[in-house]
Amino acid sequence: MPEENVNKQAQAGQNPKDEEPRIGVYVCNCGGNIGDVVKCDMVAQTLGKLPNVTVAHSNMFMCSDPGQKMIADDIKEKGINRVVIGACSIFLHEQTFRRTLERAGLNPYLYYHVGLREQVSWVHHGTPKEATEKSIRMMAAGIAKARNMKPLEPVRLPAHRHALVIGGGVAGLRSALDLARRGLQVTLVEKSHYLGGRMAQWERVFPTNEEARPLLKRLIDQVLAEPNITIHTGAQVAGAKGYVGNYTVTIRQQPRGVRGTFPNEQGVMDVCPIKQRCEFNYGLSTRKAIYRPYKECVPEGLVIDWEHCTKCGECVQVAPEGMINLEEEAHEFTVEVGAVVLATGFQPYEPFYGEMGWKEYPEVITLPQLHRLLDDEGPSDGKFYWNGHPVRNVALIHCVGSRQVEGVHRAQMDGEVNNYCSRVCCTASLSMASLIRQKAPDAKIYEIYEDIRAYGRWHEDYYTRASKNNVTFLRYYAEEIPEVRRADEKAENPLLVKVRDHLTWGEEIEIPVDLVVLSVGMMPNPVQDLMEIFKVTPGSDRFLLEVHPKLRPVETAVNGVVLAGTAQGPMNIQESCAAASAAAAKVSALIEQAKVELEPYVAHVDPDQCQGSGECVKVCPQEEAIELKTFSENGRTFQRAVVTPANCNGCGVCVSVCPNRALDVQGWRLDEYEAMVEAIAADIPAWEGAA
Amino acid sequence: MSTETENRSAKILLLATLSGGYRGADMVGQGHMDYPPNTYILPVMSAAIFPPKFYIDAFNKGFDAITVMYSGTDSPYKGESEKTAEIINETYGKMKELNLDPRRLRLAAICTVCVRPFLEEVQRAEKLLEEIGSVPRPLTKPQAVPAQPAGTQGGIFHAN
Repeated sequence: MPEENVNKQAQAGQNPKDEEPRIGVYVCNCGGNIGDVVKCDMVAQTLGKLPNVTVAHSNMFMCSDPGQKMIADDIKEKGINRVVIGACSIFLHEQTFRRTLERAGLNPYLYYHVGLREQVSWVHHGTPKEATEKSIRMMAAGIAKARNMKPLEPVRLPAHRHALVIGGGVAGLRSALDLARRGLQVTLVEKSHYLGGRMAQWERVFPTNEEARPLLKRLIDQVLAEPNITIHTGAQVAGAKGYVGNYTVTIRQQPRGVRGTFPNEQGVMDVCPIKQRCEFNYGLSTRKAIYRPYKECVPEGLVIDWEHCTKCGECVQVAPEGMINLEEEAHEFTVEVGAVVLATGFQPYEPFYGEMGWKEYPEVITLPQLHRLLDDEGPSDGKFYWNGHPVRNVALIHCVGSRQVEGVHRAQMDGEVNNYCSRVCCTASLSMASLIRQKAPDAKIYEIYEDIRAYGRWHEDYYTRASKNNVTFLRYYAEEIPEVRRADEKAENPLLVKVRDHLTWGEEIEIPVDLVVLSVGMMPNPVQDLMEIFKVTPGSDRFLLEVHPKLRPVETAVNGVVLAGTAQGPMNIQESCAAASAAAAKVSALIEQAKVELEPYVAHVDPDQCQGSGECVKVCPQEEAIELKTFSENGRTFQRAVVTPANCNGCGVCVSVCPNRALDVQGWRLDEYEAMVEAIAADIPAWEGAA
Repeated sequence: MSTETENRSAKILLLATLSGGYRGADMVGQGHMDYPPNTYILPVMSAAIFPPKFYIDAFNKGFDAITVMYSGTDSPYKGESEKTAEIINETYGKMKELNLDPRRLRLAAICTVCVRPFLEEVQRAEKLLEEIGSVPRPLTKPQAVPAQPAGTQGGIFHAN
């Protein structure tokens, strides 16, 4: 951040004029919402007697044009320089009244809002006298704060019109495309060597039943055709410095080892002696150390799996000269961006060994594996076969790795169970039941569930369809997990699923099956490194945390870092795309104008009080938000804390530890709270009806 | 046991974060659910700004119970949750020195839709004040601090 900008911000919050507060107090009746309980005239009249209150009015609707005009006229004509309004919720009209002040030429932050409707009249219907007294005290607290308020300026910074999108799955692609179409430069980095993420592993998507890969291909083609987007595959963020508007991000890119495409690719793969578990097919098949995950992947060329390649050189012998380079090395480069979109995606829950027979019996697979199995381009060409035999009886068990109960389920590494619902697995299971019915019309299909949560539009249709298609439903309770065990050797089916079915009044049922499918939930991809680099926090479910799902969706507490898709929680593809578009909208609103304007609620150091103890620097959780700088004056050298407003999110952790009370969060100062507390507790002027 | 008149003048301060308890209080209002009018809610950005002295001063100035309603582990501010808990624990020590019942101060995780937990917290504070009455003012350090009986800590409560 430029030095002069820091100084300017350090001065914000100071009132150069040090003018006498002339407070305008306005009490809204909100029709009768407030006025039917609180005697608004009495409140205004009483508050008018308090020191520094120049005018005090009550009005039927303060938010109406006449109400706002009353405030503006008082500012212009009576020299009002602080405004306190008692009305509905702060969340409803704070911006309305800030703009009123601004239009009248007053700093919009010289205003305090008291929620008289939601927090007084609507909760104290039966006690109007007490409600009126409470209104007086709450407004008096606002007046006490107003006396100490200082004009504030938003934090204004230059910004790169360039966004970094981390993750090349459907959410990352969608975000990148939306940003580019708004005229911003976009750098997209994808950890793997191919675009598309998990969506490429699905054959169809619900609820439209469209084919997934052609749908994905259309999106990728649009992204590739967009000149504002630069894509780096095999690339990961290695570090970042800076703040909103001005991040310098270091990216490390692994080499592909293969240049473009060539005719003899299959022959090259055939001569590779290494066989590895194929991640794309969730381990249902193997691949070589030089490979491509699927036929239409983008980029279409082969890639070398450096972790497993022995550099034996067999592939180089077969490939055209110069197409394969086994000595290629990773390289690093930097990009300057104004904002970052984290679209880091999810991973399917991996059951523990023995959890419902997982890995104990080869006939137990997961739902993602079933997707690959039934895919026409999958390892069995879409035939519903297992171990070379057609599957005639299949049980799909819901809520594996989701909605877990402490003491019943085994905890993850962090000691917590996955107590959240993964949301999409119910409909995914039901859609697979329909697909199985198509592929194996005579198969017996059992859906063993805890609750069916087909929550989205048209998702319920899958349940109806499965019911009509003779799918048998059995319901278990969380504390009685279904048991999967090996059947007798002579039995026709290899496995038995024991379940206490609460649709038949708790009857214990044993189902002989050929295959068990565990409908596993979603877990976040491990992104500890990115959390460290960008200082974002996870929620209790380990997914990345947005500030608030309704008030500030997709935003993290770090300015300029937003979330897209399943990085922030379980979602289906439709929802991921919607969240990705929201993230793009948020980023473009932030940096589109090549400058960033942030709320001024950041830490502020009083240089006269600061003694350079450094306690604030020790506890600050944000990197480079506050530091000790050395100054010299009249031959004396000393240290003082200096805040970089762009890096400070106003968490206030530094305020409470300062031994000299030299720190405050602008707009929410400790002395303002002390004055408010005193005002609420103090004796209030007598008012008519108080006796 | 205090008188009814004393209870009605007893004051409860709720420091509620804008990303948590303050919105929760609004939700209670939108549901038109009644609670006693001696509760005063102040919005805060982050609960970590208040040092122990602030709470002691608030008791001295006229509040009889204080509940900090923050977002707990769901706080958007890194470190807020831990720092706030640390400060509250430190304040308990100072309250003990002043012979103030630690139950008068409470830290509760209240989310934006935590209607029932919000009401339960207010009721809990009301019930406590019925039992122990207002703060005896001015606060002074007693000669000997009597030991608190087991189970009387204010505590840190997570509703969500």
